[in-house]
Amino acid sequence: MEKITVREFFDNRKEVLELTLLSGADGLDSILESREVQRPSMALMGWYEEFARERIQVLGRNEMSYLQSLSPDKLVEVIEKLFSYNIPCIIVSKNIVPPPAMLEISDRRKIPLFVSRLSTVELMNKISLWLDNAFAPKVYIHGTMVDVYGVGMLYTGKSGIGKSECALDLVERGHRLVADDVVEIKKHSENVLIASGTNLLGHHMEIRGVGIIDIERLFGVRAIRMQKRIELEVRLVIWEELEDYERLGLEKQFTTILGVKIPIVTIPVSPGKNLTAISEVIAMNHMLEVFGENPAMSFVERLNEEIRRKKNLRDYLKNDFE
Amino acid sequence: MVEREVTVVNQLGLHARPAVLLVKTASQFSSDVKLSKDDIEVNAKSIMGVLILAAEKGSKVKVSAEGPDEEDAVEAIAKLFADGFGEK
Repeated sequence: MEKITVREFFDNRKEVLELTLLSGADGLDSILESREVQRPSMALMGWYEEFARERIQVLGRNEMSYLQSLSPDKLVEVIEKLFSYNIPCIIVSKNIVPPPAMLEISDRRKIPLFVSRLSTVELMNKISLWLDNAFAPKVYIHGTMVDVYGVGMLYTGKSGIGKSECALDLVERGHRLVADDVVEIKKHSENVLIASGTNLLGHHMEIRGVGIIDIERLFGVRAIRMQKRIELEVRLVIWEELEDYERLGLEKQFTTILGVKIPIVTIPVSPGKNLTAISEVIAMNHMLEVFGENPAMSFVERLNEEIRRKKNLRDYLKNDFE
Repeated sequence: MVEREVTVVNQLGLHARPAVLLVKTASQFSSDVKLSKDDIEVNAKSIMGVLILAAEKGSKVKVSAEGPDEEDAVEAIAKLFADGFGEK
């Protein structure tokens, strides 16, 4: 997992969270170890059992009014105690001005103290969202990610099998490229994988024989997407007579990325095969299944019905000796 | 699987020309060849992958290969890095 420092959090979020650094700038390089946020109300009251010192601490109106009610000596004691736990940083909401003692202690202990205009609830929600994303498990995959009719399809397969060419053809037909060659995949929540490109890569792609092209410049913004949930993996393989491919589509195959189960379709590639048309059909078929329809299953049911009907007719005629 | 850490020694780093050389070399082997730098791992047979590593002079890159000719693949690529891709 990547290490995230308080400085990265601050640089990244200062506009969105309307943060101002008041003191403790020397502690900006300390590392955030938890993806959670907490209000240390109980800690301020002196209860430090189960206190999660690794979390970002948010002080709201409630906590600040309690601190203000204390005598100067008691105030220093309470703040000193909180800071002694080596917390990563403190954020005061609603632009409430913290007492001078707090600034002094934060500088001395090298623990950054921020103030934000946002309300406590808003602040905690937004910090949580960002931390979830920053701490999300991540993996890079050699493949191509395309949004086909709104279905996120991840193409994988050996170098040179035609992933980029397939994506280019799809873009020509109005679908949208997310990333080619290096796809960054992040796990958001238990079963959602989000794919995106890397900063440097953008929406460039290499087409053998042509070189590096820029899809965004060539086809415009309608041809690209910054990120997309992965709904299907399409694995391209070289056509080999021996291999056994899915012929009916009754049994779904799955693959696992970062512990998330994703349906996978294996497509044998051979000359004259129109991967684009197949891709569009895979996407539409996936949507039908999401809506609760299974074409393969309904065909098999029809077949079974026909067999049953014929058998009944035959049985009837067999006993008909008129 | 064979793994080796190499250092970029040429002045301009792993820019376009060395990247092409690297990809062409890696493609001569049937093993899966990968390069990783920092937290990103890419396929050494893909030009875009190699380019986005943006490896500067002095940076460390891990070369790994898996397959029938893994030893030779890593050896050949490590040699490219050591020779600075024929540059200064």
